[in-house]
Amino acid sequence: MSTSPTEQVSGVGGRADGNGRPPGLAGLALPSRIKLQEYALVGVVLALVVIGAVLKPDTFPTSDNFRAILTQASVVGVLAIGMTFVIATAGIDLSVGSVVAASGVAGGLVVDSGAAAFVGGAIGFGLGLGLVNGTAIAYGKVVPFVATLAMLAIARGLALLMSDKSPISLLGSDGVRWFGTGEIVGVPASIIIFAGIAIGGWILLNRTRYGRHVVAVGGNREAARIAGVPVRRVVFSVYGLSGLLAGLAAVLLSGRLASASPVAGELLELDAIGAAVIGGTSLAGGRATIVGTFLGVMVFAIMFNLLTQLNLATEWQQIVKGAIILGAVLIQRPERI
Amino acid sequence: MSFSRQLIAGVAALGLIAAACSDDDDGDSAGAGGETEADTGTESSESGETVTIAASVPPTDHGWLGQIAAKAQEAADQWDDVEFRLVEAADADSQASQIQTLINEEPDALVVLPYDGEQLTPVAEQAMEAGIPVINVDRLFASPDAARATILGDNYEIGVKAAEFFAEQLDCEGNVVEIQGIAGISVTQDRTQGFADTIEELCGNGINIVAQQPADFLPDLGLEVMEAILQANDDIDAVYTHDDDMAEGIVAAIENAGREDEMILTGAGGSCAAFDRIEAGGLYAATYLYSPTMAGSAVNMARLIAQGRGFADLVEPEVPSQIVVPPTEVSQDTVADLRDLCFE
Amino acid sequence: MTEPILEVRGLVKEYPGVRALAGVDFEVRPGEVHCLVGPNGAGKSTLIKCVSGAVEPTEGQILIDGQPAVTGDPSRALENGVATIYQERDLVEDLTVAQSIFLGHELRRWGLLDRNRMRRETVEILRRLNHEAISPRIHVRDLRPAGQQVVSIARALSRHVRLLIMDEPSAILDDSEIETMFGIVRRLTAEGVGVVYISHRLDEIRRLGDRVTVLTDGRTVASGLPATTPADKLVEHMVGRKVGQLYPERRRGDHKVVLEVRGVRRLPDVKHASFEVRAGEVLGIGGLVGAGRSELLRAVYGVDDREAGEVLVDGRPVPPRRPDRSIAAGLGLAPEDRKSQALLLDWNLIKNVTLADVGRFQRGLIRTRVERAAAEEQLRALHTVPDDGTRMARELSGGNQQKVVLARWLLHQCRVLLLDEPTRGVDVATKAHLYRLIADLADRGLGVVVVSSELEELCGFCTRILVMREGELVAEVDGAEATELELLRHAMPDRQEMLAQTAVPAAAGADAGQEEV
Repeated sequence: MSTSPTEQVSGVGGRADGNGRPPGLAGLALPSRIKLQEYALVGVVLALVVIGAVLKPDTFPTSDNFRAILTQASVVGVLAIGMTFVIATAGIDLSVGSVVAASGVAGGLVVDSGAAAFVGGAIGFGLGLGLVNGTAIAYGKVVPFVATLAMLAIARGLALLMSDKSPISLLGSDGVRWFGTGEIVGVPASIIIFAGIAIGGWILLNRTRYGRHVVAVGGNREAARIAGVPVRRVVFSVYGLSGLLAGLAAVLLSGRLASASPVAGELLELDAIGAAVIGGTSLAGGRATIVGTFLGVMVFAIMFNLLTQLNLATEWQQIVKGAIILGAVLIQRPERI
Repeated sequence: MSFSRQLIAGVAALGLIAAACSDDDDGDSAGAGGETEADTGTESSESGETVTIAASVPPTDHGWLGQIAAKAQEAADQWDDVEFRLVEAADADSQASQIQTLINEEPDALVVLPYDGEQLTPVAEQAMEAGIPVINVDRLFASPDAARATILGDNYEIGVKAAEFFAEQLDCEGNVVEIQGIAGISVTQDRTQGFADTIEELCGNGINIVAQQPADFLPDLGLEVMEAILQANDDIDAVYTHDDDMAEGIVAAIENAGREDEMILTGAGGSCAAFDRIEAGGLYAATYLYSPTMAGSAVNMARLIAQGRGFADLVEPEVPSQIVVPPTEVSQDTVADLRDLCFE
Repeated sequence: MTEPILEVRGLVKEYPGVRALAGVDFEVRPGEVHCLVGPNGAGKSTLIKCVSGAVEPTEGQILIDGQPAVTGDPSRALENGVATIYQERDLVEDLTVAQSIFLGHELRRWGLLDRNRMRRETVEILRRLNHEAISPRIHVRDLRPAGQQVVSIARALSRHVRLLIMDEPSAILDDSEIETMFGIVRRLTAEGVGVVYISHRLDEIRRLGDRVTVLTDGRTVASGLPATTPADKLVEHMVGRKVGQLYPERRRGDHKVVLEVRGVRRLPDVKHASFEVRAGEVLGIGGLVGAGRSELLRAVYGVDDREAGEVLVDGRPVPPRRPDRSIAAGLGLAPEDRKSQALLLDWNLIKNVTLADVGRFQRGLIRTRVERAAAEEQLRALHTVPDDGTRMARELSGGNQQKVVLARWLLHQCRVLLLDEPTRGVDVATKAHLYRLIADLADRGLGVVVVSSELEELCGFCTRILVMREGELVAEVDGAEATELELLRHAMPDRQEMLAQTAVPAAAGADAGQEEV
């Protein structure tokens, strides 16, 4: 059960007084926790941009660089959107990085039949692996951490197996490469696809019954069940969604790499989870924000770009990354986990 | 305890000690440590007594390492007096435990390519103390007591040769980007040091290393790191990379940005994909053989050591303790001749 | 007259923007049970927290045995002998009884835990409480709520308590357990311990208390009244005006049967249950905790599976384990624990109200304005405060939270509402309000089932009352004629018949020492 611990007997934040006002804020409605987190993240993003502009005025604040940042962000971004849905149900998907590799390879095996085959193959394979996760978790009652950890290993193994341990070259497939490097009205296709998924994800989460149900399952599974939400079906579906988006991410990545690499995506799931969490989606379920995830993804992408441009040694990069994550979380109101 | 029980316990203990001692003797006569009679002058290809060789390698999840495992297996297969077992680890910690297990199986020789030489030195020393000769491949252990013999490519020399290559091609003037492998391991440190020392020696301040970042031997990481570096530097003359597989991603980044005419790039390892690119000419200018065949050689060495023999062509009766394979440069001139040596 | 153990003078506590306590005077004598009543938000909990040191008062004095006490320091309060038993259990489930009792002040010998001594003292304390059946070795989670409460009390005793504060202790107990708890309290007061007893249940105050103080809006409006003060006088003090009768007029119900339950079985809690509910009636189901009432409602509703039996709404069967089908058929369930089973506290009111029927507002996408209007309409109809749908469910008082749950089912226009303990944790004034609302629902043609542990309230306004005992419905009584005693007799297994006699409101001090656990 992921709801708050039993209410304090009274005091700030406890029961409202006779007029329904929360004691302590004399009539002011508390701004929703999530909104504060989002504002804080915007602040972090702006701060990073300003620091970058100051430290590297010629090469950081250029439209070319922002395109590069957004393009790079699109792979993790697409994954993070799917992860937001999964985490909203109080679940987790540790397998997405490996599924990206496996889906890319799966697409690579059929790329000779055309770019559409690649895309279909990759997305389909990702969806399939995601549904295996969903089945284990929703119907097999396996804990999400364990089920997706197993899939992390299995998918990686499949990727290596199917590709015979070497990358599948996509140099010949202009169609697939378009996803990585092509443009639509001057904007890279990757960015457009990422934006589309983000917008679609937002609509799905906030303006459909399905989205409502997803968050309800994470917020209070029992209450959702009593209220008629088809809990198992919802849980099953979010993992499918995550897998499908992993397949799409594979297309974007392979297009840019011009190869389907079986070792791609290592540790990518941590970036996806990290972005969602610092964005405000709660690991305990019941609170999710696509805007926050998007901002979280941007924080990571801008950070990587800036630190690499500054040619900071790895050890410092790790420390700075950790500090920024901690900072982003601390600025937000302390939340109960 | 009653007297009779003590007696039985004492006898049992003595028995165990006796058994352990005799085991050690067996081990010695099989050639552990190579101190007993060595067979001089016999052809290495002649069959000797059957020996068991165990091999421990890091996860063979990409080209070069995959080939390591394959070449080791190939070498073992050609001998009918070798029983061979290869174990693949996930990371440094599990490799240490796996080697522990292998030690308990008491093979006649142990071939190890450690995930990290420093971290695995203690367990290698343990194997040596247990009388099992260790053959160290590629990534060096930290202590000479950790291995009976070592075979590795010359990582430092790769750096030297690449530096010489760039010094010549760029006329000692320009900006160089270095993309390393996994930060912190000896391979990386040597390749970086060799390059830095030689560039300084040959060109002084003429050549600047404007960026130096690791990409873990992974092509997708290479892609992302290079993308950022391309943004930061609008005038790059050369890219020195530590690995051909990883370089594929770096090349993709450069080509996506349309800047392949601006610079030249070198790799390391000797993948056939790199050979193709070198042959085609342009961006990918050279690579340095760091052949996974050294794993096969390591198995051969292990066999000879276990059987108490030396190399046939050498006068000395024992297998040398260190073999350094020089990194042959593969450039457009030489790529055709060296074709046979590339790995997938 | 002996000096009071506790004296509170002019206590004020301010939080940013609100005065939780605005000058409270209060005292407790040794050996007395001093009850504290008041509506929710009156400041009872804040007062308790000041006395127990959890919170630092802004102004005023707290005197223990005539000496000013250090405020804002819970460990000092504990040292002074002030212990608090909270409503929400403060025990760690994974520990054993002995470990829980000594948590934080473990007995040691030469630096190591002295487990034997702790075990012995645990047994001793439990014997004092007449609960030696509880073994010091079992885990807290394996105890029933009543047992866990005993452990909480034992914890207090392990520290030589002089003043025991109990916050709504009877909320989680059934009637026989309440008797036992009363016995403990009387035992303690006989030893000279002073007890502060907070409760909404005015009958308990009458039976157990010596004096009562009424708190409203952070002020003492009446202090030290004798516990025998009649209920409506107390309510009058609380609300500040004359309140009409507590219970609304009893509804009669018409003849149309809306819900039929036949032979429902869900072992081990529900052995066999059959009943009917008519439109326009309020059907009460009473019984002891553990009789299976909540499980019955859950099995009827379909959130839990049933091994046998049928449920028909308006003559049409409803399949088990399909809450969505039950909802479609017109059933609604307001579960026992509204916070953990019904509401999503991090959501706003709108989303909570529409959860069972979101699809209605979706044409492609959810039309949020229509949704909000519909939700707020329901909230207003139930006089929810606040009725602003954008507020968080967490912020509302217990009574208003219950209204949100009801609003959810009204939005969906259900035919039969199953309410499990709807007035739990709600103060008297709000209860009256809820009773009226429930009666109104019946007037609208719904059939309403109310499960409650407060027999008095069932007798107060239900059309009919069923009594459940050990998994079976053993009696049906007409609401107008029912008495608490009769219901209690039906509810209890026979060997406890004796107990029923002592449940009659007796003079304070009736010796409950012979009760068996």
